[in-house]
Amino acid sequence: MQDSSSRRKKIVRSVIFLAGLLGLLLWMSHQITDFTKKNGDMIQGRNKSIVEIQKEPENTIDVLVVGDSESYTSVSPLEMWKNQGVASFICGQSGQKIQETYYMLKTALTHQSPKLVLLETNVLFRNMKGVKGIQEEVIQKADYYFPIFRFHDIWKNMLLGRKYTEERYKGFTLRDMVQSYDGGQYMKETTEKDQITQDMENYTDKILELCREHNARVMFYSAPSPLNYSYRKHNAIQELADKKQLLYLDLNLHTEELSIDWKVDSMDKGDHLNLSGANKVTQYLGAYIQKRYELPDHRREAAYQSWQKDAASYVEKAQKRIMLIQDRGNSGK
Amino acid sequence: MAYHTSIYLFLFLPVVLLLYQITPRKIRPFVLLAAGYVFFWIISGELVWYLILTTLFTHYIAIWIEGTEVKNKKGRKRILIFGILVLLGVLGYLKYYNFFAQNVNRVLDQVHPGVAITMKMIVLPIGISFYTLQAIGYMVDVYWKKIPAEKNLAKVALFLGFFPQIMEGPISMYPQTSQQLWKGDPITLENLTGGSLRIIWGLFKKMIIADRLYLVVQAVFEHYDKYNGVVIAAAAVAYTVQLYMEFSGCMDIVLGSGQILGVTLPENFRQPFASRNAAEFWRRWHITLGVWLKTYVFFPVSTSRIVKRWNHFGKTHLSKHMTKLGISAIALFPVWLGNGLWHGARWSYLFYGMYYFTILLLGIAVEPIRDQILKVCRINQDAVWWRMLQIGKTWMIIFTGELFFRANGLRAGYRMFRSIFENFTLDKLWDGTFLSFGLDKADYFIVFCGCLCVAIVGIIRERSLLDTQQMQKVCLPVRWAVYYGLIIAVILFGAYGVGYQQVDLIYAGF
Repeated sequence: MQDSSSRRKKIVRSVIFLAGLLGLLLWMSHQITDFTKKNGDMIQGRNKSIVEIQKEPENTIDVLVVGDSESYTSVSPLEMWKNQGVASFICGQSGQKIQETYYMLKTALTHQSPKLVLLETNVLFRNMKGVKGIQEEVIQKADYYFPIFRFHDIWKNMLLGRKYTEERYKGFTLRDMVQSYDGGQYMKETTEKDQITQDMENYTDKILELCREHNARVMFYSAPSPLNYSYRKHNAIQELADKKQLLYLDLNLHTEELSIDWKVDSMDKGDHLNLSGANKVTQYLGAYIQKRYELPDHRREAAYQSWQKDAASYVEKAQKRIMLIQDRGNSGK
Repeated sequence: MAYHTSIYLFLFLPVVLLLYQITPRKIRPFVLLAAGYVFFWIISGELVWYLILTTLFTHYIAIWIEGTEVKNKKGRKRILIFGILVLLGVLGYLKYYNFFAQNVNRVLDQVHPGVAITMKMIVLPIGISFYTLQAIGYMVDVYWKKIPAEKNLAKVALFLGFFPQIMEGPISMYPQTSQQLWKGDPITLENLTGGSLRIIWGLFKKMIIADRLYLVVQAVFEHYDKYNGVVIAAAAVAYTVQLYMEFSGCMDIVLGSGQILGVTLPENFRQPFASRNAAEFWRRWHITLGVWLKTYVFFPVSTSRIVKRWNHFGKTHLSKHMTKLGISAIALFPVWLGNGLWHGARWSYLFYGMYYFTILLLGIAVEPIRDQILKVCRINQDAVWWRMLQIGKTWMIIFTGELFFRANGLRAGYRMFRSIFENFTLDKLWDGTFLSFGLDKADYFIVFCGCLCVAIVGIIRERSLLDTQQMQKVCLPVRWAVYYGLIIAVILFGAYGVGYQQVDLIYAGF
């Protein structure tokens, strides 16, 4: 009798302990999320977009762009705003894994109701299968429910007064480095195709399901990148897009229409686009999606006044940087 | 799926514990057995066949030894030698073939240029060095009739494939764990709390201290030619601390996992930095390897014919001390050769073994002179200053050994050691050199505080002031504050996430 009572007491204590721990973690997560929103400068580059998207006023973003570094170097939201008045935001991260893409979207969709999600397709080839994939899923899930894990070491920056200041424009930064690509034609037509793993397809389904729940449509796009794309990859992505009945725009097949000049528009020998290349892609892509998805032009809306202000500042700085890029490109430096 | 990863801690272990708890008592050992094989397969894939075949082989060899008439001593011995040679042969081929080929090729290159042994791409099954020693130990115990041969194959399989032990040991002997593994007792709340606490303590050591020091160690040891003096010396200390925090931290996770399942695995560490000499250090550091080598190498050699002959020779021709020294040399040499070789196929590991062999032998050699000096100088061996001096001396021995152990080759080790004495000024500690390794001031502060916590816990354990069971009796608010504090410390100060690198377990590579 005494044994059973003592056992019950121990179980109750354990439950209280675990509940206390859970409460503590949730409280710390809440505090740290608030802190990061107020002190974005203390966040390292890779985590900046997940904080910034949460700072945007509710339901103001129409287009979310996700993917790895190919995403945030190819689309400039304020360039799109200037041309089409479409409110877009970049949620891409360097080396973003598909699990991160999913949880990034899940986070963004708690406050935003975008009409379109643009998924840059390079992420589909960043294989995270088997144990690695499961591990990444566990990590991302933990980071999503308990942001304290993601921002756990912010105390260091607080203590040392360290800041990671960057000029950011809705997840985009002005990159004016120039390293030309001179490898010539890289999209040579073939019927062969690379493989997109079943795990990747399953994650794509999860992303599509999540977007469907939030009434957001999904479109695949591939940023121009001779180092990352080939016709074999194009075929694989096209097949997946057809299977999932998604629109796929491979900009590697439209580099002439885009007027991409590989001497000027690449920042690292054909891996990523610089500001000049990103602006060209954005002009084309902005017009393309506005036409197909009937995205609203918010430029005259009072709620978007801050966007106009940001765009003016962006245009001024971007113009100077583009001139610099052209000088560098033409002089071969 | 190392033991400190989220997939092990938040997925694999909880699922195994749940399955274990909900299955009937008789089935539970099979849950553990299946978990062991799944764990092995996740890491090494098809190489799980090595474990399966080793298990079958060990099981039947033991039965064969037992089944051979007691009178047929030679026959029993031959079977045992066959068993040992096969297991060591597999281990040797997988682990040392390329090392052997590389060194033979060096010689051939001098003698017959153009003639070479082909190098092979060999993938080692995880934990082969650990389960092979357990298998040999089991066969020898049966041969010595310490234990009967186990008729139940599954029991042998579980002994060799218990999942917390697979990657880094501890190397247990059959009587130590077999009964516990097979009991199938339900998980108790005491074991769950005690084991979980131990796991968190292990994570504290690994994630807060070891994974930070990894950056310093990596930076200096990989580019040792850029540094000298105090930087190299500090890197040797940093590596020793990293290795201890990581290996002992991993053991805490392993022993904690075992504890939750009601299995008490043998301890592998007992405050090694409190040792007063190298011999004591090895009784406190990687204890199970030391015990294994002592039991299955040192004792058999000590009672071998060659030692008996030396003893006989010594009694008639030499002093008592010289006879003892000779016996020690004969018995210790294979132990330390084995220790070096066991760590892997590198000359630096062999040197590491021989380094300790020399130091231990020197210790025995100078014993009479040392005792004489102590007597003449009237030094109280229990005096604090004397103990501190001895501990300091032992630290020097340890740090030097670990420098050679970690260095990229014997030549690099020698160069690093020599460069300690070049341009040795303490300025380098403060001039920003150490901030260029990827750690900032806050990181060093955390490492210092972490080491301080580990040292305090070490002193408490050393003086038996408080053990885990007594901890359960401490008043609830204090206990909970310690638990919460530890968990929060790991979460906040652990080196994981953006900006950090996941560091693989060092001993999993052996």
